[in-house]
Amino acid sequence: MRIFGHEAAHSSPRPSSSALFNRRDLIRTALFAGAASVFGPEFSLAQAVSSGLTAAAKGEDGSTLLTDPNWRAAFLNDHQNETLIVLSDVIIPGTDTPGAKEALVNRYLDLLLSVQPAEFQRKFVDALAYIDAESQKQFGKDFRGLGADDQIWLLTPWAFARQPSHWTARNDTRNEAADLGQQHFELLKALIATAYYESEIGQKELGWDGEFTHGPYEGCEHPTAAHT
Amino acid sequence: MPQDVLQQTYDAIVVGSGATGGWAAKRLSEAGLKVALLEAGRAVTAREFTEHIPSYQLKYRNHSPEIVRTRPIQRQCYACMEYNYEWFVNDLENPYSTPPDRPFTWQRLRVLGGRSLVWGRHSYRLSDVDFKAASRDGYDVDWPFSYPDLAPYYDVVERYVGISGAAERNEMLPDGQYLPPMKMSCGEVRLRESIQKKFGRTLTMGRVAILTQPHNGRAPCHYCGPCERGCMTFSYFSSPFTTVKDAVKTGNCTLITDAIVRHVDMNTGSNKAQGVTFVQRTTKETKQIRGKVVVMCAQALESTRILLNSSTREYPKGLANSSGLLGHYLMDHVVGGGASATFDDMKALPTANPPHRPTGIYLVRFRNTPATGKHPHFIRGYGFQGDSMPVFNFNAPGIGKDYKQAVKTGAYSITLGAFGESLASFDNFCEIDPNLRDAWGIPALRISMAHGKNEAAMMRDAGVTAAEMLEATGAKNIRVTTGVEMPGMAIHEVGTARMGNDPKKSVLNTFCQSHDVSNLLVTDGSGFVSSACQNPTLTMMAITVRACDHLVERFRRNEI
Repeated sequence: MRIFGHEAAHSSPRPSSSALFNRRDLIRTALFAGAASVFGPEFSLAQAVSSGLTAAAKGEDGSTLLTDPNWRAAFLNDHQNETLIVLSDVIIPGTDTPGAKEALVNRYLDLLLSVQPAEFQRKFVDALAYIDAESQKQFGKDFRGLGADDQIWLLTPWAFARQPSHWTARNDTRNEAADLGQQHFELLKALIATAYYESEIGQKELGWDGEFTHGPYEGCEHPTAAHT
Repeated sequence: MPQDVLQQTYDAIVVGSGATGGWAAKRLSEAGLKVALLEAGRAVTAREFTEHIPSYQLKYRNHSPEIVRTRPIQRQCYACMEYNYEWFVNDLENPYSTPPDRPFTWQRLRVLGGRSLVWGRHSYRLSDVDFKAASRDGYDVDWPFSYPDLAPYYDVVERYVGISGAAERNEMLPDGQYLPPMKMSCGEVRLRESIQKKFGRTLTMGRVAILTQPHNGRAPCHYCGPCERGCMTFSYFSSPFTTVKDAVKTGNCTLITDAIVRHVDMNTGSNKAQGVTFVQRTTKETKQIRGKVVVMCAQALESTRILLNSSTREYPKGLANSSGLLGHYLMDHVVGGGASATFDDMKALPTANPPHRPTGIYLVRFRNTPATGKHPHFIRGYGFQGDSMPVFNFNAPGIGKDYKQAVKTGAYSITLGAFGESLASFDNFCEIDPNLRDAWGIPALRISMAHGKNEAAMMRDAGVTAAEMLEATGAKNIRVTTGVEMPGMAIHEVGTARMGNDPKKSVLNTFCQSHDVSNLLVTDGSGFVSSACQNPTLTMMAITVRACDHLVERFRRNEI
């Protein structure tokens, strides 16, 4: 089981190199693996001398872009955007709390994708297309056109760890096509989860009440060997 | 900048305004010396702190393409974020090179306060097991001073900075002057009790430069979490709002920002440094400033770069380099070994609400100690940092309502990551790359460093011992890591102008004074003889105060 620590609650001042990731690591790994050396042939001395304030330090709120009534996708086409909305809503539906659709997960991912290297954009588009292709194979329809039960039926085998066959455990009987589907699905799920839980709705889902202080950390107050 | 700032001759020019430069400026100006404090970056104000801005208000939620484009190296640092990346150097303007098979990540800031704005804040004393390590195991040389020589300066620094922590009476980690420690979680207390009983090892709350009670006019921590984005209550120690502020308040310290020092100027007749030449960051004009003493506090690699760029006819291999050792013995703590696990019987749930304790635990070095004896596979040792708490399980399996619930149920995690001693080696070094200059035309560094077999064995052992301790404490799902990260990742570079008593075998004397040029000091991490395994900033600050007090004495005795 992998565990992703909540970034704000990630108390280690220095991340250990253990396999305990936070979401930032997750998306970094996904997005930027194999980034070229800074000193490649494209290196040239910058003429402008930078060093100003970041948008955050200037107090700019970047989240308003996503709620703009005239919002238009910057990267995804209409079908991809609609498919992403439907997919994100199956993975993180509205329950007693809002889900991925209300959190505008599609809009944030569209913005993020619009500034990624072509290789990563292709990976994302391929993953969405794979799900449509499987849907066509099983049902003769695109994923977004399926009923809710069929959508869950299609995705569920990819959403859990796979194991070798009970009957022929000594042989590797894993189905390659299923594994490929799982890889595509895991990429999409990780990005959707990141986009959801980093949104304001997602932060509230995790219990955040909007305040930055609640007094000091009180820690363990139990007698020896009674820790919970 | 008014011209008269550059017309006078200062008693001391301090290069760099971070943890050590701030102390040098404070100590010298409070003693009545006229000081010019030079910082390569711009000034910083509390108005630009971002610790209370939620990540969803960032346009790219911390995945900004601008960081990828302009900070491809800096973003390897855990603290370089969409919130604050402008504090970090622009890698396109500040290049360095490495041999293809010896990668090194040089993570640094150019802004008033330097890395003290974003540092990890862990503050540990070294002991005589460290200062006299060579006498015990025969590797390399001892430091030119002993623990009792430095202890009073540790006291001075700790009392002023405000270190929260607990005394443990462990000979590997001398106790100091502490504010009350932050609190441990249940998981951490469980680990502390278990390893004390089963292994005789010491786990303590991180000793950190974060206040737990009002101290020197600063308020205690309000537990919002991300110190590396600044602190509106100044509860963690950073130089602009403490030492530099004090220095300027004396009326004896002139702060000059945007001054990128190119080289130290020498009076060849008297063999004395007479000031520095710098490039104004925004206009790129070259300027000079004169001083009776030059104190380098630019951090190990940058101070060394400036000295290597200051060669003269008398010092063709770089200033203060008659030994030929300047730039050599570069060290950075080895990281990469450790383990993580879960306490499946602990039911506390994670929450996104504060309080967020902005630090973790520290497990004191237990290898190759006087008590535990010689390890068969490596010399020296490592300590662990880590933490244990309920965390969200974003990678829970499944979809839908059940997935949402599984995320919130989370798991009670525990993690330990080692920081190990990096052995001093002549073969780990920096030099000037003849073919590379920065955006201001200043020759840039070529850094050549790799961790060796001793470091690799240590990280393997760290994986093994972390797993053993977690298992003995009842943790499940244990996962081990035994790799060696590339040098630079610990951001603890030290050693490129080592101290020593023999001018042929060292660059600086015991008071951080150049053997070759008596009015040139280097008081940042450059002077370290060994890296030990403790986080180095506290020791750098104590060494700076000791060197500055000695310098003030020399002024009083009219030796300058």
